[in-house]
Amino acid sequence: MGQQIALALKDSMHRVLVKLASFLPGLLALLVAVIILTAIGALLALILRRILTAAKFDERFARSQNADVTDWSPGHSPTALVARIAFWACVVLGVIIGISAFDASYAGNSQIAAILIPYLTHSVGAILILIAGTVIARFLSRSVLIGAVNMQMQYARFLSLGIKWLVLVLTAAMVLDHLQIGGVVVELAFGILFGGIVLTLSLAIGLGSRDLVSRSLEKTADPRPTPSTYPTPEAVFNDLSPHAAPAAKHAEPLRHF
Amino acid sequence: MSSTQTVLESAVSDPASSGLLISLSPLHGNALEATLANLAQAFPNQLIDVTTPDPIPPTPASSLRVTTYTPTAPALAGWILTAADYVNTYKRMQNHQSTACLLLGPEAQSLAPDALRALADQVVVGNADLASPRYSLSPRDGLINSAILYPVTRALFGTRPRYPQAIDLAFSLRAANRLAACAQKFTAANQTAAFIWPVAEAAAAGFTIAEVPVGLRALPPPDALDLNSLLAQVAGSFFADLDAKASFWQRSRLAYSPRDAAALTRAMPAQSDDSAMSEQPDVQPMIDSFRLAYINLHEIWSLVLPPNSLLGLKKLSIMPPTAFRMPDSLWARIVYDFVLAYRLRTINRGHLLGALTPLYLAWVASHLLLSSGTSAETLSPDKHIEALAAAFETDKPYLVARWRWPDRFNP
Repeated sequence: MGQQIALALKDSMHRVLVKLASFLPGLLALLVAVIILTAIGALLALILRRILTAAKFDERFARSQNADVTDWSPGHSPTALVARIAFWACVVLGVIIGISAFDASYAGNSQIAAILIPYLTHSVGAILILIAGTVIARFLSRSVLIGAVNMQMQYARFLSLGIKWLVLVLTAAMVLDHLQIGGVVVELAFGILFGGIVLTLSLAIGLGSRDLVSRSLEKTADPRPTPSTYPTPEAVFNDLSPHAAPAAKHAEPLRHF
Repeated sequence: MSSTQTVLESAVSDPASSGLLISLSPLHGNALEATLANLAQAFPNQLIDVTTPDPIPPTPASSLRVTTYTPTAPALAGWILTAADYVNTYKRMQNHQSTACLLLGPEAQSLAPDALRALADQVVVGNADLASPRYSLSPRDGLINSAILYPVTRALFGTRPRYPQAIDLAFSLRAANRLAACAQKFTAANQTAAFIWPVAEAAAAGFTIAEVPVGLRALPPPDALDLNSLLAQVAGSFFADLDAKASFWQRSRLAYSPRDAAALTRAMPAQSDDSAMSEQPDVQPMIDSFRLAYINLHEIWSLVLPPNSLLGLKKLSIMPPTAFRMPDSLWARIVYDFVLAYRLRTINRGHLLGALTPLYLAWVASHLLLSSGTSAETLSPDKHIEALAAAFETDKPYLVARWRWPDRFNP
């Protein structure tokens, strides 16, 4: 009995070590390919930068009025843009070559390859989704924050945080779904979280602007204004348009332009 | 291009073409008749070509030769002169073989005949390349101009015109050519409603610029309904133009010493002249807006502004409304830092201009309070704006240094 257990364990360990031994060269090939191509990319970017700087590429470009390209360049330098494109092209090439080498190091019917290769590809996709989601969350959060502050909403930060977490939760759910982790649990949790955030935001906005809504309803219900109590059109406009508010309360309004 | 022509010369004693073309923007209702009447009064003994996109009304006999035109480049903004206006005007000048042009914007009927004449004379007689009007506006009007456009243009380009984005201009043929060439870049990209900055353009070209007081003028309301859109539109275009002309304004020298200008401003008596606002403005909503923004936008401002400016804003946020004063040096530094951030794309440009709005409102509140009080420090609006412009001039080396070496300091 003991001998059988020892034999089973020995066999199992042998199988794992063999699999690991066959797995490591592929992984090493992937890393080497990425490192070498990254180094080549850095060198190429350096050479390109020096050549273009010597050739006064930026100045020539500015003279030809290609404003769109210049606007998108880092630090408004087309030279830096070209150098970065070259560097990242090499890095991407290294990753592709590495994955290809990793794939080739296994037999076509290998069980590990069948699981690992698609998972590796999915991981790259998930990382891209995560980066895009984070960037979009930050952009939307700032847009909402600035817009809400300029509309003088007291709960601007809360609204902005709500939007940010809404997008981040959506991104996290997409990443997990892409990696096929969690299955139904993730979908359910996402539904609850997303719904919760939307409900919270709706309540916050609804409660925060109830005065505005009630004034609006009053105005609709009773179209006949009484001079002493009913708000003037200027006052209503001021409520709805905060930046016009200081101006409209005076006989002489502010003219910004 | 010209579709109709009407010559009314019966009242002309000695009609002689002055080479002046008067170009009108679309005018509504009786505005065209009123404008033509003013022009006839302004130029009584000269044969003047006038072009308008509107149907020509029956006018009393005068020396005006009125023609209609169909604009070659569409999309007139209706409240400001756009790239399309400059391109169209230059083409009409070529068609009429004019040597000078008086380009009048919307609501031009509110300009007095003397003002029209004086504006044209600066170019025709005074040989200036560009004549810019100085409107007599209320202290509550043209606040973006007072806060940003005028002081920055004056500091960077060394020019004096009070309205760098005036909607009436007189210019010579070569100035028209320059402005049209600049506008052509936008119209070629189908951006016919883009803004052109004539004073900066003339300064960069080394043209002679004159300023003419024209008195009162009704200004057409901007297209943008809210302040955020308006500020983003105007300041965005202005900052982009500064970026395009950086090689010029980094080299340009002022024609006078900023220190002398500041001393002159200080020497002015501490008020009370007619331009001061007698009525205390309600600035509380603007101050509230700034305070709300200080709580919420501090993180975004800290990406753009240096610690000193943030400290200044902190002090401002806790000031009581009666003592709410934004120092001129602080506002100058804020505007310069936003110009730099616009250039460097420190944050998204839409966000950047949105984050400027509460700061601008704080400046407006401070300006209105400073101009309307009765204390010893009260200044007339004009004097305050002149002092502000001097502060921008004094701080110009900061902008130039950071423009050239932006990485030396990161807030």
